[in-house]
Amino acid sequence: MATTTLTPAATTYQTGLYAWLTTTDHKKIGIMYLINSFVFFFIAGIMALGVRTELAQPGLQFFTDLQYNELFSMHATFMIFVFIIPILAGFANYVVPLQIGAPDMAFPRINALSFWMLPLAGIILLLGFVTGGTAAAGWTSYPPLSEDRPLAAIGAGQDLWIVGLVLIGTSSILGAINFLVTIFKMRAPGMTLFRMPILVWTVLVTSVLVLMATPVITSALIMLFIDRNYGGSFFDPRVGGDPILYQNIFWFYSHPAVYVMILPAMGMISEILPVFSRKPLFGYKAFIFATAGIGALGFSVWAHHMFTTGAVYLPFFSLMTFLIAVPTGVKMFNWIFTLWRGKLSLNPPLLFALGFLSMFLIGGIDGAFSASVPVDFALHDTYWVVAHLHYVLFGGSVFGVMAGFYFYFPKMTGRMLNETVGKLQFVVMFIGFNLTFFPMHELGLAGMPRRIADYSSTAGWNDLNLLATIGGFTIAASMALFLWNVFVSLRSGAIAGDDPWEGNTLEWATTSPPPPYNFDHLPEIRSERPLFDVRHGRTAAH
Amino acid sequence: MSSSPRNRSSSTITVVVVAFVLIALAALAVVSGTGQAFVTGLYPPVAVTEQGAKVRDLYTIVFALAVVIFVLVEGLIIWTVIRYRRKPGDDMLPAQTHGNNVAELAWTIIPTIIVAFLFVISWQTLNEVDATSASAQTRIRAVAGQFQWQFDYLADDGQTVQYTQQLATGDGGGLYVPAGRNIQLSLTSQDVIHAFYVPQFLFKRDVVPGRVNKFDFKVDAADAGQTFRGQCAELCGAGHRLMLFEVHALAPADFDAWLADAIANASATPPPAPSGPATPSGQPAPSGQAAGPTLQVSAQNIAYEQSSLEAPAGTPFSIEFDNKDAGVPHNVSIHKDSASGEEVFKGDIFPGPAQKTYDVPPLPAGTYAFVCSVHPNMTGTLTVK
Repeated sequence: MATTTLTPAATTYQTGLYAWLTTTDHKKIGIMYLINSFVFFFIAGIMALGVRTELAQPGLQFFTDLQYNELFSMHATFMIFVFIIPILAGFANYVVPLQIGAPDMAFPRINALSFWMLPLAGIILLLGFVTGGTAAAGWTSYPPLSEDRPLAAIGAGQDLWIVGLVLIGTSSILGAINFLVTIFKMRAPGMTLFRMPILVWTVLVTSVLVLMATPVITSALIMLFIDRNYGGSFFDPRVGGDPILYQNIFWFYSHPAVYVMILPAMGMISEILPVFSRKPLFGYKAFIFATAGIGALGFSVWAHHMFTTGAVYLPFFSLMTFLIAVPTGVKMFNWIFTLWRGKLSLNPPLLFALGFLSMFLIGGIDGAFSASVPVDFALHDTYWVVAHLHYVLFGGSVFGVMAGFYFYFPKMTGRMLNETVGKLQFVVMFIGFNLTFFPMHELGLAGMPRRIADYSSTAGWNDLNLLATIGGFTIAASMALFLWNVFVSLRSGAIAGDDPWEGNTLEWATTSPPPPYNFDHLPEIRSERPLFDVRHGRTAAH
Repeated sequence: MSSSPRNRSSSTITVVVVAFVLIALAALAVVSGTGQAFVTGLYPPVAVTEQGAKVRDLYTIVFALAVVIFVLVEGLIIWTVIRYRRKPGDDMLPAQTHGNNVAELAWTIIPTIIVAFLFVISWQTLNEVDATSASAQTRIRAVAGQFQWQFDYLADDGQTVQYTQQLATGDGGGLYVPAGRNIQLSLTSQDVIHAFYVPQFLFKRDVVPGRVNKFDFKVDAADAGQTFRGQCAELCGAGHRLMLFEVHALAPADFDAWLADAIANASATPPPAPSGPATPSGQPAPSGQAAGPTLQVSAQNIAYEQSSLEAPAGTPFSIEFDNKDAGVPHNVSIHKDSASGEEVFKGDIFPGPAQKTYDVPPLPAGTYAFVCSVHPNMTGTLTVK
């Protein structure tokens, strides 16, 4: 770009381990978020392979019942709290200051603190494996099971789980405050709220959700800790407590957390589709209102996780859950009509983004089944729900993460990821994902409950389980391709240049990787696509 | 790659199309051989209750709408990607469309109408399937605990227990219900949260400690004689997968006879009987004291504390069984060769903490397994020589 005059600043990333451990640079912290998240992604993925291997055939072959419960409990805990939420925070950390033309986050040292809590929390969660057993009551850890009942949570693992999650929650809250202040106070001249990239908007809404919801689950976790260790009576019915109270508090956070896990991924998709179709995002403002609408409605649907408890006013939560499909549908159509009449370049970022669109669609349609209370009576707590949540969190979030990774890797490293390997990874991952999770719809409808270590060979679930296991290992193969691509491209990938994709937003107006404090000179910001204006002139934008 | 990484698209199209086709083929081929099986697999089982049939009708409407929306939107995505891919060397900018308010309104209002419709029909069905009547003809209470079900048959007052069915599966066990009658099931838990789930009812309800959940159901009269598989659906600990039960639907007259028999048998052999198997499959207890040695067996935390026992061949012997699990029923039964082998002795099932002495008839030399009839994962080896 003519607007940047710095020489490529790759040397700033070669200043040794000490510089990384002590950095307050949002870009280095963002990259450390990504690395940390991927490490725990692979650990949690191996746990998933353990689960699928045990279920491939009827009979207990590899694990005891309790070990199996530990595996799926920790798989979900790591995937949700130590992979998806942090990796999206990592992308936001790297990209948001660049996209709004800021030199760094508002509170760089708090930013570093937020990050370093995460590996610590991950290690605390893992410690359960060497202290007599991890948490084994599911990632939801419903009491009374998670309290003191035999054969559920015997060791210190459940307490370690609580401590780890409180740490992660604290990290999230600090991060959310940091993002909000950065977005409201650090924008470059000309970057009005309605010229901000959609990714920044989704991070803004996500931060509000985190700020409002996370303190609530923290209170639930601390009440659980008191019940377990000091004879509290919050959730134990024998001494006047109510186990349903925990579920209400838990889901008051954990449903909005679903949007924390998907909105920033939607934000990245909304950056990628315009670039690779060479068109502006269709309905920019409608998209922002839809995002805010999802955030607001997201606080009124939590009890749809509790339809079968007999302790919920069903019509209200059913109605709100149905309604949240509307803003989600608005987004889907805006994305499709961004592609419509565009000039699509099917590079890996767009391929993964299309994977997001087509798979999240299935996850979203599944949601309408669960919103219908009588249908949910049949489907709740079966493998159907496992299918639904993976179509949202894998088909949505993980495909979004991959799209974002292929998109931003050149900016972060100065090198391109290999295109051919990327396309191959996409195809293998797409096939593996559907082989694993589509059959789970049918398993659930056929009556297979979730969280069981074994099933009868006469129940008719053998073939579908074997298929899902084959799919699980196919996903693992796609991840091997991904790792190989990253390692090879880091050493010998093609040089990216400042703006390999003809991007629209400010992060592409600086070097790859950007220097400390990001910009020497900013282009004029007169729309949500300042770089497009520079490249084609303001008049071309209409 | 850095000069024009965006222009190589035609091969990718092929790849994407191949991927979609592969998915479709794999799904069709592997699931059970035919496309028809694939579609029926996306459907819940045929309902055997009046309420379940209504849920299934509702599912049909939701499913039909879902398929239409899926085909339209997914088709639109695929068609757009194929139609509007960038040709190599094409550097023209497409028209820069920023949006269209009419379109935004359309795809806000139409989905709102669809979900409002789905909400209303769901609510109507909910009021039909989740209603509890004051005039239920049969009242049963399911009591769930780690990791077994028991079923209390209640008198018309809804309180007095006429008969308790302790075994949830297997020989003589299970939830017996009269087909064609209105049944009210109340659910209570002894410990953690469980869930009562029968796939063919298309229904489940959580069993929450400290609460009593109730629901009504009526098994279709035509399904008398059938048995349905049920299972706990809420994670309840290490033995969660073992919390199976069977529902036996009987013609009303057969049910009445079964219940009268069960009540008569239960009062003939009161639960605290000192010894001897009470179930039809057990051996008759020998009179007087057993001549042989006495073996000690104890159970705690849903496991036997002994893994192997030895007994002499050809002489009767006794087992002193100490059940230390409060509120949890156990017993000791003996099976030939392994836990899945033929049952040669079955002791009384009783809840702990309590002790009981079983008199076991003479057994030929060989290897046996001792098993808890309630918890099939509780096993040990008995060597007779």
